[in-house]
Amino acid sequence: MASKQFMVSRRGFLKLGVGAAATATAGGLLKARPAGAQGGLKPGFESKFTVCDMCFNKCSAIARVGDGVVRKLDPNPKFLKSRGMLCAKGNAGLHQLYDPNRLKYPLLRVGERGQGQFRRISWSEALDLAAAKMGAIAKEYTRCGMLFMAGADMQSTFVHRFAEAFGSYNVISHESNCLLSNNRAFLDTFGEVPIPDVLNSKYILMAGANRFESLVTPDSIDLMTTLREHGCKLVVLDPRYTKTAALANEYHAIRPGTDLALMLALMHVLINEGLYDKQFVAEKTYGLEQLRTHVQSYSPEWAAGQTDIPAEAIRRMARELAAAAPAAMVYPGRRSSDYANSTQIRRGFAMVNALLGNWDRPGGLTAARVVGLKGGIPLEAPFYEDNPPERVDSGQARLMFEEEGSFKLTRDAALKGEPYPIKGFFAYHVNPMQTGANRRKTIAMLNQMDFVMVMDVAMTDTAWMADLVLPSQTYLERLDPASAQQGSSACACVVQRDPVAPAMFEAQPVFFVVQELAKRLELGEHFDFTVEEFRAAQLADLPDAPQALAEDGVYYNPSRLYGVYEGKIYKTKSHKIELFNQRYAEAGLDPMPVYTAPAQPPAGQFRLVVGRNALITQSSSTSNALLLQMQPDNDLWIHPDSAARLGVKAGQRVAVTSPAGQQVLTARVTHETRPDTVYMHTGFGVMSRELAAYGRGGCIAAVLVDAVDEISGNMAMHETFVQVAAA
Amino acid sequence: MAVKLGMVIDAASCIDCKGCQAACKVANQVPDGHWRNWIKRGDEEKAALDRQGLRFQPGNCMQCDKPTCVAACPTGATYKEAKDGVVRIDRELCIGCGQCLAACPYQARYRHPQLRVADKCDFCAERRAAGLQPACVDTCPTKARVFGDLNDPDSPAGRLLRGKASVQVVNQQSNTDPNLYYLGDPGPADWPVQAKMPTPWQFWKSLGGPALEALVGLTGLGVIAMYGRQLILGDHDQPPEHASGHPEGGDHDQHA
Repeated sequence: MASKQFMVSRRGFLKLGVGAAATATAGGLLKARPAGAQGGLKPGFESKFTVCDMCFNKCSAIARVGDGVVRKLDPNPKFLKSRGMLCAKGNAGLHQLYDPNRLKYPLLRVGERGQGQFRRISWSEALDLAAAKMGAIAKEYTRCGMLFMAGADMQSTFVHRFAEAFGSYNVISHESNCLLSNNRAFLDTFGEVPIPDVLNSKYILMAGANRFESLVTPDSIDLMTTLREHGCKLVVLDPRYTKTAALANEYHAIRPGTDLALMLALMHVLINEGLYDKQFVAEKTYGLEQLRTHVQSYSPEWAAGQTDIPAEAIRRMARELAAAAPAAMVYPGRRSSDYANSTQIRRGFAMVNALLGNWDRPGGLTAARVVGLKGGIPLEAPFYEDNPPERVDSGQARLMFEEEGSFKLTRDAALKGEPYPIKGFFAYHVNPMQTGANRRKTIAMLNQMDFVMVMDVAMTDTAWMADLVLPSQTYLERLDPASAQQGSSACACVVQRDPVAPAMFEAQPVFFVVQELAKRLELGEHFDFTVEEFRAAQLADLPDAPQALAEDGVYYNPSRLYGVYEGKIYKTKSHKIELFNQRYAEAGLDPMPVYTAPAQPPAGQFRLVVGRNALITQSSSTSNALLLQMQPDNDLWIHPDSAARLGVKAGQRVAVTSPAGQQVLTARVTHETRPDTVYMHTGFGVMSRELAAYGRGGCIAAVLVDAVDEISGNMAMHETFVQVAAA
Repeated sequence: MAVKLGMVIDAASCIDCKGCQAACKVANQVPDGHWRNWIKRGDEEKAALDRQGLRFQPGNCMQCDKPTCVAACPTGATYKEAKDGVVRIDRELCIGCGQCLAACPYQARYRHPQLRVADKCDFCAERRAAGLQPACVDTCPTKARVFGDLNDPDSPAGRLLRGKASVQVVNQQSNTDPNLYYLGDPGPADWPVQAKMPTPWQFWKSLGGPALEALVGLTGLGVIAMYGRQLILGDHDQPPEHASGHPEGGDHDQHA
């Protein structure tokens, strides 16, 4: 693509050259050449702290502002959680602010849903309409008939607050399409979700995570530091040869869906060879004897047949992990929306760490540190007695997080209209049309709604399906609440976001929207404050924070990092770290993970796995003018042997078909994936013609099937088998 | 000793995240489809087959001590800054002839489509003037790029050069003595091409020397001649692919 652009510019250059030569001779030498186009930073620019919003990490950054225009975003060198870096996406942030395609005004749908025909309306018309529609839904279907969904944004707290004041329990986040099963597993083992101390680790086994491409701070940076400077060994297990795999000391192309077999075999070796931390296990864990019996059949030889990793390598990994413990870890990872037993798979990860005592000590998993940020201004939500007793997705998953819900199960309930109808949808800064597996079902869910309202920076695919589209300010224009961050050995800290550039067009923060809706729905008393006042309430216990935030862009709480659990009980039923989970046993779940071999793709089909690189935050980054130059589309990674069997050549268009749907994209024939597995990046194949990525690549949500983790209700995307054929 | 700005790069620390490329694009307003810096990578297919690992190699203009681009420039627009050794382009003097593009063994230059001048990394001269690090160095997550005065053993870059084995990546036929040093194994090293010097100008310059260069720079005479040359020679004057800078921005182009 770049070379094509160049052809054009070269011809343009020659044409311009003639004109410029004429100008030069007539106007006197070369002074006619435009000189002003150079250079972002003119003397006298201002430096202002901001907090990046190009992904969930919320890195503190410095905006270089000249003449009211953001010229450059730089890392904040004092921000330890990011180790003073700003990634490609962070640098591209100003293209979100100055995106010519961004939403500028409230838009009302005029054509059919999903046809993309809208007309501009005023804010007052938009808010009056939204309030009327929501009021009507509440009257006809109860207040729980409104579904709210808000992404990982610093103002999402106001959407949650509004939902609670309005009276709907049906609030979901993006997380049930992402990491909830992982959180569930670690919570049900350690009593909390740990933060890995990557920097001080000497041995890291990384499965189901791609830390050098899917950047998480400080883990991604600390991983390289500990590899280069502390002699840490990194072992990567992934069906795909990722950049993390390429930079690892050891890599195995594990058969997808078999990570639990490996974890059980590691525990088999650790217990049978007596390599586990005996004192730690005796003092701090519950259920060793049950586990000892449980893992006897899970030998490395058995696991080798499941995972395609040699038994000898598995045995060696167990010994190496034990030798490095407690400064070692099975890395907990982040996104775990992969398999229908993903909670149990991640329980396996957690239990290996527990056996080795990789907990609450340097180089292992650490407990959350005290930050001291408060919840803001408390809400006394009204009680609505006509409401149904539970969330619409209640009782479907065995141990769902009530405060997070499940996108998959909520969508199923809405489609059935049971246990009660869901007829209104308000989405803020979240795009389930792209991130929720089985797009057809999401479309069907939205189509059965009476009212769909979406607020975002750009016309996302979800906004494309809406009746009312509201333009959000970008993070660079907004005043946001403070946010607490956990960074293990890097820090426990607070950041906050102040505007660094004047708001453009008619864009508003979502706080404005919920405040105005609240006024119209007689809920105004619950939003009778400013964001500044909310923030002050958050910071009430941290008197030093405002000055630190003003001077450094970050406030650190020098709270305890290691030994947090010394003399304390664990927040589990046994008050210990649970190898054997009693609550699971009571709920009829396997108290220790039982391995079931994953179904294998039918002959001629492949398992589809998805992921991303450092240029992609799902669909929110793929239309960015700068990132698009580096990541212009996605393609289908397919192994050369598989491609040859199908007669598919590199660069050829292929149709990828599953029971959920079909997408057509370009084949990338590569040894970087297994013969039984094909791979796609997230974020492309958009429906919205208002996005720069329109017409590029394929959409994961349109081909992924929507299996579910039975414990957490997390989406299970890698249970998808696809056919691939030349298009 | 005079200041000699350079970069010491630990290729083994590079995760190929493209942070440096994005930062550079914004800081220097590099036009769409062009790049002032890059991350080269080894043979990923081979690496995936052998499971031997892969190295990523960040780079940019090497601010050479023997810059072939300076020698190739007919107008003196490309010059080596006396105070710090950075190779700069005077946009007022550059006539956009493209000789320097072919003369650079590292394909570090591109022709700016709007400004019609050669453009390349200058270690972020504007940022340095404002007391900031070059954008790529500042933003790099793993600090694989280290910048400083190579003649100062206590500068961040100088400290790294001291006592550690480092190499330059050059083309043996056109060793320009670059000021980018790689610690240990730099990864792919066979990519620099032989500098393509503009023979007619070499000949004229050998006759006229600096006097001719000055004449060309100060009058419009040579300029018209050069534009004529562009029109006549057309594409032959252009290095074919690399004139667009380094298109291997993202994963896509590599795989296509």
